[in-house]
Amino acid sequence: MSSSRNKKRLSVALASVLALSALAGCSSASQPTSGGAGTAGAGKDEFSFYFTGSLNVKELWETLVPTFEKQNPSIKVKLVHIESGAGGQSTLDRLIAAKQAGQKSGNIDLYEAGLSDVTKGIKEDLWGAVETQKIPNLAKVDDGFLKDLKNMAIPYRASAVILAYNSAKVKTPPKTANELYDWIRNNPGRFAYNDPSTGGAGDSFVQTAIYNFLPPEAMRNSDPGMMSQWDKGFALLKELKPFMYQKGVFPKKNQGTLDLLANGEVDMIPAWSDMTLEQLNKKLLPDTVKMTQIDPAFTGGPTYLMVPKLTEHADSVNKFLDFVLSPEAQTVIVKKMFGYPGIKWSEMPQELRDQFKDVAGGYRQFNLGDLGKEIQKRWQREVAGE
Amino acid sequence: MTKKTKQSLLGLLLVLPSFLVLTFVVIVPIVLAINESFRNEAGQYSLEHYIYLFTDKVSVGNIIFTIKITLISVVLSLLISYIMAVYLRFSSGVIVKWIQKLYMIPMFIPSVIASYGIINMYGNHGWLSRILLLFGSEALPKIIFDYKGLILANLWFNIPFTTMLLSSALAGIPNAVIESAKDVGASRVQLFLKFIVPLSYRTMLVAVTFIFMGIIGGFTAPYLIGPNSPQVLGVAMQQIFSVYQETQLASANAVFMFVLCSLMGYFYIRTMIKDDKSH
Repeated sequence: MSSSRNKKRLSVALASVLALSALAGCSSASQPTSGGAGTAGAGKDEFSFYFTGSLNVKELWETLVPTFEKQNPSIKVKLVHIESGAGGQSTLDRLIAAKQAGQKSGNIDLYEAGLSDVTKGIKEDLWGAVETQKIPNLAKVDDGFLKDLKNMAIPYRASAVILAYNSAKVKTPPKTANELYDWIRNNPGRFAYNDPSTGGAGDSFVQTAIYNFLPPEAMRNSDPGMMSQWDKGFALLKELKPFMYQKGVFPKKNQGTLDLLANGEVDMIPAWSDMTLEQLNKKLLPDTVKMTQIDPAFTGGPTYLMVPKLTEHADSVNKFLDFVLSPEAQTVIVKKMFGYPGIKWSEMPQELRDQFKDVAGGYRQFNLGDLGKEIQKRWQREVAGE
Repeated sequence: MTKKTKQSLLGLLLVLPSFLVLTFVVIVPIVLAINESFRNEAGQYSLEHYIYLFTDKVSVGNIIFTIKITLISVVLSLLISYIMAVYLRFSSGVIVKWIQKLYMIPMFIPSVIASYGIINMYGNHGWLSRILLLFGSEALPKIIFDYKGLILANLWFNIPFTTMLLSSALAGIPNAVIESAKDVGASRVQLFLKFIVPLSYRTMLVAVTFIFMGIIGGFTAPYLIGPNSPQVLGVAMQQIFSVYQETQLASANAVFMFVLCSLMGYFYIRTMIKDDKSH
């Protein structure tokens, strides 16, 4: 009696496990592949938009897309979020593979990524050129940015590393890089930058310290031969180390230094503009924290939107891009992400221009390729390790 | 089918899932990692990553640092836990009751939260230095971003579990043994060395193995609390793997950690087998 009952229990358990795994299999399989035209019913044109990034990027698109769909009832945007660091490369690989297999754009109709994916895609001839006739708001974007990339990518937002400081302690913030280094020497223990391998703010401080000694062309040179010219920069970083927080503590992550600034452990840090503004807004940083950009500036850069050349939904995608570049959507980007707008500041509402006037000065864009990793390795060895 | 074959089939069926999980989640990745660690950039077999691991200044510094931190933490946690377990076993009163209620709390606090708690408590302008300031002292040594903070965190994470293990072992020692030893005139030290330690030393070995493996593979606390350099192996490995993207070197690092843990495991199993035979 009891053994048969046990068997029945067992088979029920097994069946439910099977059913569960089958369900899980279905749902995970259907998510990434079912994009594109397949489900577009009742005359709706659906296109797939692949984007990478942290949660704030996802939240941004989840705010913008419903507004767009309300204005354009005939278009549906399918958002495909790819966690940062978890396969941005694979989206590009998919586009290349789809093109080689003659499958148009592989159901990827719009792609958001950083500079390296843009240039890789241009090399593979993946992107279609964007035109002002089809996207009227494109005229609001700085022409130089578009021409640099042969009109293949739209810089729709940007963020930069700036100097965040406690204005209650620092009355006259440094204006140049050399003034900053002098300030660090004169105020031992009151400055911190984060471990460059754990966040872009510290990375920017290290990179600019090294490349300020080199001609501007070096910023876009990824030739390993450049490594021999780093010595002066590293000597400076080593010399500055004893003047850092606790004689050479480099907190982990961009947030690590922001925490130190928030609780008054230090008075000045390099930080991302968007993170600093967001935390000022949420009162996580005291009101006395102000931002400034030095000359030559820290690094930063835009995030781009690209339209694969072989997309089948070009008209809908163009309408969407026009919406993203409208002052209305750009205001959401600035307010929600605290990023720099993709269109010119002169096109933005006055109120926002005032809020950003301290940091609107700009940033420098480095394109070092794999040399960035080499800098981090050498920093770990020579600056942290001494 | 006879009843016996049916039962053995059922047995196999029940073992199969865990066997498959073990194979594909543990064994296959280990074999792949070992294989990966012996390849150079061109894909040929070579020892270059191991040579780098044991000759490079930074890498050797990391290894020595990790082993030092681990050994100090193991000895300290064991010592404190033993004292606490003995106290809890052989004393009674209100304090004992309270300690018994409270000492397990750290086990239920996630390591990230505990790490930030430790930073807030012992940091440069943390609670401790503020309290000391009230008494006119400003000289708090650097604890956070230093090896001291790391050892402190290791103690916080390991003492509760070790104490729990040792307490259960000590609970198994009959009061009669202790009392009769006392009757024939054994001193407290003799009592501890001749009776309590031998009767609980297998559990102690289990505890040492657990603490050792937990600390040597630690990541969260060393990442948040530890110094920038030298790094513990876990943090260094993460940096090599996801920042420098040198998979092979990271694998060599992982294999080395695996070997350290296996050595510990070997001694543990050997003593266990020896003990079983002598019983």
